[in-house]
Amino acid sequence: MSGMDGLALATRGLRKSYGSRRALDGLDLSVPAGVVYGFLGPNGAGKTTTMRVLTGLIHADGGTVELLGRPFKRGDRHRLFEVGALVEAPTFYPYLSARANLRELAASGAPVPSKRIEEVLDLAGLCDRANDKVQGYSMGMKQRLGIAAALLSDPKLLLLDEPANGLDPAGIVAMRDTLKALASQGKTVFVSSHLLAEIQVMADVVGIIAAGKLVREGPLKELLSMQGVVKVRVRPNLVDAAIETLAPLAPAERLTETDRDEGWLAVRLATDRAEEVNQKLAGAGIYASGLESGTDLEMLFLELTGGQGPSGGEGAFVGLGGLNGGAPAGKGTAA
Amino acid sequence: MRLFLSGLRKLVRRPATFVIFGLLIGLLVLIVLAVGATANSGMGAGGGPNGRAAAKELVTFPGAYDRMLQFILGLGGLFAMIYGAAIAGSEWSWGTLKSAVARGESRVRYMLFSFASIGLMIAVGLVIAFGIAVVAAVIGANLANVSTSGLGDTATLGHLPERLLKGWFAVLEEAALGFTIATLARSQLAGIGAGIAFYFGETFASIFLPDIVKYMPFSVANASVATGSGQGFGGGGGATIATLPADQALLMVAVWLVGSLFVAALYSDRAEISG
Repeated sequence: MSGMDGLALATRGLRKSYGSRRALDGLDLSVPAGVVYGFLGPNGAGKTTTMRVLTGLIHADGGTVELLGRPFKRGDRHRLFEVGALVEAPTFYPYLSARANLRELAASGAPVPSKRIEEVLDLAGLCDRANDKVQGYSMGMKQRLGIAAALLSDPKLLLLDEPANGLDPAGIVAMRDTLKALASQGKTVFVSSHLLAEIQVMADVVGIIAAGKLVREGPLKELLSMQGVVKVRVRPNLVDAAIETLAPLAPAERLTETDRDEGWLAVRLATDRAEEVNQKLAGAGIYASGLESGTDLEMLFLELTGGQGPSGGEGAFVGLGGLNGGAPAGKGTAA
Repeated sequence: MRLFLSGLRKLVRRPATFVIFGLLIGLLVLIVLAVGATANSGMGAGGGPNGRAAAKELVTFPGAYDRMLQFILGLGGLFAMIYGAAIAGSEWSWGTLKSAVARGESRVRYMLFSFASIGLMIAVGLVIAFGIAVVAAVIGANLANVSTSGLGDTATLGHLPERLLKGWFAVLEEAALGFTIATLARSQLAGIGAGIAFYFGETFASIFLPDIVKYMPFSVANASVATGSGQGFGGGGGATIATLPADQALLMVAVWLVGSLFVAALYSDRAEISG
């Protein structure tokens, strides 16, 4: 299924320009097999261009692509027989039903057994409306059908561009469960999204691009542990003493006073070191009245993309104890 | 074969198939019945004795076979061009070509099989339309009190398969032209609009540039099926002023057909698909 190096998808030095605008500028992606890979980037970073190159819709100006361990060049369209894709908005014949659309789509590319159509309709929760014309479908239903279409060939590699678009909360949860289940079966799911919260709960590995280049890639847990935050609340008059006490745990730039009046401090540390922070303070006779820890993909994203927020993005602060109090870490005055 | 059958299933269910076919049949039946009904009155074909004679001749067999076919091929050529443009354009407008390409389908195969299914639909449509036209002409003849004894003329009937085949080939070429224009325009509406403009532009240009226009696609299509009787009706490009001999015209039809499909396939293969 995958190459010698265990990658389901790899790009090296991928370049693509539209006129004078460089959409991809030497993109290097390494997507391990059997994971959900979150592909993140601000608007115009090159996510959709990458998806188009990976699905053969456009051709790169330079660089290489490997799909499932084998080179994917112009003319290697058969590589896509093992790939399912939903690129941009799902597209269908409006005058045909969902079932008929899938049947006609199955006539192209890799052969598909007819029972597979019923399987993916069931998976997408569209069995009840499968005979209705697609022109009457809501955006969410079209999106479900798009995901069903991507799964039609039972692909080893699934490329999804903003799959949560238009889905209701139940649909998002179902989609997330489905994608995770596919990854657990050894399939690789490559998801491009601007919904950081969604990626944070779904992806095993993330790649963040900005201006057509990869700026960070790695297992999500690893990246977030580097981006972990432990927040501690002490009496306001003890803030300076607490900063001094915690200095050995973290360099000054990772120690932030977020709200002096309330006595909140943030230490950018791996979240599993919260206990250590508490011990250190207690050892110095400073007792915390509040302690919270969490990670923030949004913070990492903003830092790496130069502060370009994801369009409509929602940062998620998944606190172990639920973070509600205090300003977001990193936005206060550096101690 | 999967693509071809899929193309056929899509066309059979497509509203455009029935709208275009319905328009052609509706116009044909309406005109033939109106001509038949008014052939003996002062309203018929200009009202004079010559007009009445022409109206009766239209529904008189065996000549009516040729005239019905001319009507279908004339107006049908324009409709076929619109149909080809609608099918090819929608593949881009709706993004369905994109879905097939992302599944690893060959762009060239996809486009050519799409056109092949259009070709079969046109063949079936042509035969059905001709059958309906003959029935309409028989009714028109009865309305005009004209004998239908020529209906079973064996010589004419013997030539019909060849005439229908040539007619299908000519209409196919016009459909290919619309198919290619819409492919280049990547749009249903732009393709249909440009195709219609081309059709009427060619007719108009034939007044000023007959020696050039006689090689143009609609003119050669018309010339390839011309009977030389001059009794056809139904329009059909710029074939009225100067035309090629039928055998040369047939060759040019083949050139335009293959050329159009080659351009559509090449463009589809090279195009960057986005949106």
